[in-house]
Amino acid sequence: MAPVQSGHAPNLRKFLDSLKGQSLDASVESLVSRAHSLLKRRQIKGPEPCAIATAHILLQVVAKTKWNDVDHLLDRIQQVGHKLVEAQPQELVIGNIIRRILGLIRDEAAEDRHGDGDGDDAESLPESSAAATATTTTAATHEPESRSALQSRALSRVPTLSSLSSMAIPQSMFNLLSADPLVDSSPGSSPYGHGSGTSTPMLRVAQPTNLHGLKSEIISGIDEIFDEIQQVDDQIAAVADTQIYPGDFVMVYRPSATVERFLVKAAAKRKFTVLIVGETATATATATATATPGGQQEAPYAALRKKLKSLKVTAINVTSSGAMAYIGRTNKVILDARAVVANGGVIVDGGAGLVARAAAGYSKAVIVLGGVYRVSPEEPSDFGPLVEWGNPAGHIGFTDGPMVSGVDVGIAETEYMSPDLIDIYITNLGAHSRNHLHSIITDHYKKEDMELYGSY
Amino acid sequence: GAKPTVVIPAPLKEKDPRDLIPECFSHLPMAKRIPLSQADKDVHPVVLAVGQQMATFTLRDNIRRLEATLNAFKKVLESYEAPPSSAFSRHFVPHVLNPQIEYLTECRPMCFAMGNAIRLLKARISKLDPDTSDEEAIKTLCESIEGFIQERIYYAEVIIARNAADMIIQGDHILTYGGARLVGKALEQAWADGKTFEVAILDDPCDRTGQAMAKSLRQQGIRVSYYPQLGGVSCHLQHATKVMIGAEAVFANGSLYGPAGTSDVALAAQAANLPVIALCETINFDRERVATDSGMYNEIDPERCTEESFRLLFDTTRDKFLNVVVTEYETITGDAPATAILAILRKQEDPN
Repeated sequence: MAPVQSGHAPNLRKFLDSLKGQSLDASVESLVSRAHSLLKRRQIKGPEPCAIATAHILLQVVAKTKWNDVDHLLDRIQQVGHKLVEAQPQELVIGNIIRRILGLIRDEAAEDRHGDGDGDDAESLPESSAAATATTTTAATHEPESRSALQSRALSRVPTLSSLSSMAIPQSMFNLLSADPLVDSSPGSSPYGHGSGTSTPMLRVAQPTNLHGLKSEIISGIDEIFDEIQQVDDQIAAVADTQIYPGDFVMVYRPSATVERFLVKAAAKRKFTVLIVGETATATATATATATPGGQQEAPYAALRKKLKSLKVTAINVTSSGAMAYIGRTNKVILDARAVVANGGVIVDGGAGLVARAAAGYSKAVIVLGGVYRVSPEEPSDFGPLVEWGNPAGHIGFTDGPMVSGVDVGIAETEYMSPDLIDIYITNLGAHSRNHLHSIITDHYKKEDMELYGSY
Repeated sequence: GAKPTVVIPAPLKEKDPRDLIPECFSHLPMAKRIPLSQADKDVHPVVLAVGQQMATFTLRDNIRRLEATLNAFKKVLESYEAPPSSAFSRHFVPHVLNPQIEYLTECRPMCFAMGNAIRLLKARISKLDPDTSDEEAIKTLCESIEGFIQERIYYAEVIIARNAADMIIQGDHILTYGGARLVGKALEQAWADGKTFEVAILDDPCDRTGQAMAKSLRQQGIRVSYYPQLGGVSCHLQHATKVMIGAEAVFANGSLYGPAGTSDVALAAQAANLPVIALCETINFDRERVATDSGMYNEIDPERCTEESFRLLFDTTRDKFLNVVVTEYETITGDAPATAILAILRKQEDPN
């Protein structure tokens, strides 16, 4: 299992520890309901913890659910995923991870079929989709059946699957580059020929030929997602010194771990000044708790400022929720994206949108950082529901009767930032313009998983 | 070279708070608490008290500062006794008034209204007939200070509240920033006129002046939403129909000088296609200074000037982000753009 990066909210770590200690036959159901309540109560929050928790839960589902065919597994993942999404619909990464894992399963299953399924074409094709559905429902009761029998049933579902979706669209670069003789010579004869990402000849050599092998392939695929999430900050930071140059005044808003890594990496090579905005006297305790766990006792971002200072980079803690007073001084703004939606809009910490708007008003560059796992294929028509409202307790005392009873008080924890305010997106794949986001989305998600649970 | 820098031990003497100002903001002034023992002996006790209140920000609103200053000057005038050899008009300003002004400025940089009022007061003194007796001169000046307070502070407030209230229509959803005094008056006036509307107050968490306003408006029956920080402003703006802000001052080029965050709100409002209405007494208008960004004229928050934090008290909003500046003049056209400031001032000085 992928090692968990230090610095997560204690509740995620506790949750993951409990996963490890779990006896093998502990029900996935209870795990899911625990994750659901942790998410719902915001004890696991923020994109990275949510992504990791989601991937861990789905890993358990893959490993522990008794699934006899791929569709069963896909259904199960979707069910569990739905529960997780519903617990924290604002956190788009949950849906992203679910889509990634669904796509992974589809790819592995398609590969699997390719390996030993060629000869079965004739038998499996005539089976109707109704029969295939029936297999899914009865599969669980026929466990003693031999593996090969199950295998052929799993395979029989393929035509239905591919007919539901437009598999013909190439999903990865591999498809474009590989000249698969099978696909080319007889595109109509094999229903698997159009399988996404399956036509790479070299992948066909070493293949799992049974469900057990398929399972371990999927699990190692999920492990790769963990690795990706873990490496994101370093990969993003790798381009830091091309983005920041000597003498810059860089404004950051409540820097996340990703932004901190980026600044520190740049500071190793460049001398610049950092303006850290967003921390206000009263909000300090709560905001730092989420942004830099463990640092609540100290002044905001003390660790970051110390690190920068040791590299001779000045960091000024600006105690303000507005940015216009300082934007004249600033060259560029670097923000953390909690999620990037399909149109290029970004979900950011509440208040970061103001910083971007201030920068846009003065034509300063706005750079948004976020791993590919935060790029969501969703494009909600209304961004209101994506804004998360927080607890105003840090700002209003409960003894303040007139405020508590008569006045509606609201704190925006997150907000939506429209794409016209953003100049550059930096993911673990490098720096992109808005136009490139679309190809990132089509590279990472399957078309049939794009609209996962409708719009929320 | 990632070696940590050696920290030089702090000198024993008390640290100058200005040492902690980051270099890029070192040109800006900051209020300072002066121990009473260090104050100039010429400073009048009333002025000493006002100065302390300003330095500690217990007296912070620009117009309240102006009022307190003028009242204190009145006390200085009343207790003035000219030395036998010199005439009032020659002695008072350099030897009595200027030390008071210097002291007040040292406590906290003067607000624009104070600067304007002092300039007018000095002009008034210089126009005094040299033949008038000291008693008569003092009486005249005290009267003109009183008249000034009446006209430029009290009447102005009422008229601006009236003008701005007329801009509010039934069913409006007014968004405002902080607890701007004039905005509060305008909203109260509109409510008293029988209009029904809602108010959203965004606040600066370092300031929280909006809280008192939220409570007082609520007590009058107005539906109020309160947002303790600027986050999510674009979301709040979706429900708003007008944005009303209070100004600290207006520069000669039409830029508005307001509490830090005002500019952020104005920018977001413009992006949401909402009219931004600024309220400001003409005494706050500066006819010489111009500003394009917030770094030119500003003040450092003395409460937040440490290793850990830094804050500016004001920001500058370019006139392109404002739709109207409501003043106590120009009642007929009502909506003067910010750049018409100089014209308004000229008209005020020479109505013909």
